[in-house]
Amino acid sequence: MKIHRIYAVVLRFLFLFRRSYDRISDAFYWPTIDLLLWGLTSVYFRSIMPGASRVILVIMSGILLWIIVWRGQYEITVNLLEDLWNENLINMFVSPLRFIEWIIALIVIGIIKAFLSFSFAMFMAYLLYKVKIFFFGYYFIPIILLLIMTGWWVGFFVAGLILRFGTKVQTFAWTMVAVISPFSAIYYPLSILPNWAQIVAKITPTSYVFEGAREIIARGSVSPDKLIISLVLNVVYLFLSLWFLRRSFKKVLEKGLVKVY
Amino acid sequence: MDVLTVKNLTKKFKNFIAVNNISFSLKEGEILGFLGPNGAGKTTTIQMLLGVLTPTAGAIKYFNQDFTKHREEILEQVNFSSTYTKLPWRLTVRENLTFASFLYQINNRRARINKIVKIFKIERLINQAMSELSAGQLTRVNLAKAFINYPKVLLLDEPTASLDPDVADYIRHFLLEERRKFKVSIIITSHNMAEVEEVCDRVIFINDGKIIADDTPDGLAKTIKTSHVELLIKDGLKRTIEFCQNRQMQYVLEGRYIVIDVVEREIPVFLRELMDKGVYYDEISIDKPTLQDYFLQITRKT
Repeated sequence: MKIHRIYAVVLRFLFLFRRSYDRISDAFYWPTIDLLLWGLTSVYFRSIMPGASRVILVIMSGILLWIIVWRGQYEITVNLLEDLWNENLINMFVSPLRFIEWIIALIVIGIIKAFLSFSFAMFMAYLLYKVKIFFFGYYFIPIILLLIMTGWWVGFFVAGLILRFGTKVQTFAWTMVAVISPFSAIYYPLSILPNWAQIVAKITPTSYVFEGAREIIARGSVSPDKLIISLVLNVVYLFLSLWFLRRSFKKVLEKGLVKVY
Repeated sequence: MDVLTVKNLTKKFKNFIAVNNISFSLKEGEILGFLGPNGAGKTTTIQMLLGVLTPTAGAIKYFNQDFTKHREEILEQVNFSSTYTKLPWRLTVRENLTFASFLYQINNRRARINKIVKIFKIERLINQAMSELSAGQLTRVNLAKAFINYPKVLLLDEPTASLDPDVADYIRHFLLEERRKFKVSIIITSHNMAEVEEVCDRVIFINDGKIIADDTPDGLAKTIKTSHVELLIKDGLKRTIEFCQNRQMQYVLEGRYIVIDVVEREIPVFLRELMDKGVYYDEISIDKPTLQDYFLQITRKT
């Protein structure tokens, strides 16, 4: 594995980011809209239910933390799509670039963009509602790590589907992560989900993280079990998604990299 | 010394055999034309040589190393350019070349990029986005990308397609110079037979996935026995046409000009017979068979 090749791919994505107003607006526009919509909604709820003082904090932390999952997944799949739309995969893979180097570059760019969007949203949350996300303390690090891992495995799974079936399934790049959001209990406790959905939530790693985040807001601490279960599930899914992506890439090489459009 | 050896290379797509058990080699400093009609298996072979298509069977060796086992080291010394593949259209020429220079870990990146854009006469375009370039300019940027890593082996798919004749000529001379100075080995696919005759030392002709000829351009042209005899008929055009029809000779008529395919060694007899029939002509030109004729003969058969 060569750092200069990973750097090359990251650099190219940053060049693209700089020149793509749609991608720049993606990174900042939607977080702002979410913060405005949900923030004002929770301000309204707090005004009619004075007892629900934590509602803004729960909603805001939900929005901010979901940005991590969303950006992690979105960057992997949309950057792959960008290469497919540009018909550029062949130019990359006739070079010495290895598959694993390309994957690592996608991860790095996902982290950079997630950091950008998250920092911007944090700033906006403070500006608009005086909400500071750092009340999570040391838990902030594992929470971020677990959420971005979820973003990665969803991203790799969707990337595998796109490689296998081409751009006709590209809509998954924007929609797939939303499938797990109801089971992640971002804004509400797991207990309000119907029984069948609670079973699905049990195998959804993000549900443990958001439950844990609400525990921190309520009690100032979280049971480590929740974070450990989320980590185990994330690691398993990450391996499975990477295996699937690798297999899809091999399949693509069997029919020819230029034919994946 | 062979820089590339291909043995029994085969590619099957379900029931269709795109490349059927082909073997060939490329010598250091050799320019090899890879020709064939559309769908013959050229692109499939090139893709396998670049590692973006997995062969069904066979072996590819570069510099005596197995391609599958030493992909990275090999591809550091190989590059590729095609008129038909694209570079990211939102990036500028400089950004695309910078990306490539990092990918191949080029020392003195800036100097190399400046030199390569000068060679391919794209200095003025360096800060332009790829989307703003014409087809010919895109081809030159693709070629610049292909040369950025000082490749020892180059695979060029239609390298001069969509270039103006003067630029195409400049590129051909550049390729010949690179071969002379640095012993670069090149595989070229092209539909421009004159270009192949000019730059290629050897030609492999592929059809239906099989190699049907492997020779010098001259050698292949010589397998064609007929020449084109062009006459400007002064008197006896009708008799000339009748004569050709009776002998079942191919001809093309344009005004008073007639181009007749005649077996080379029978040309003197043919001309004498025409005179005997009272045919008079003002001009005559005899074109020897070319690679183009060979190509046409093969494609007409299929």
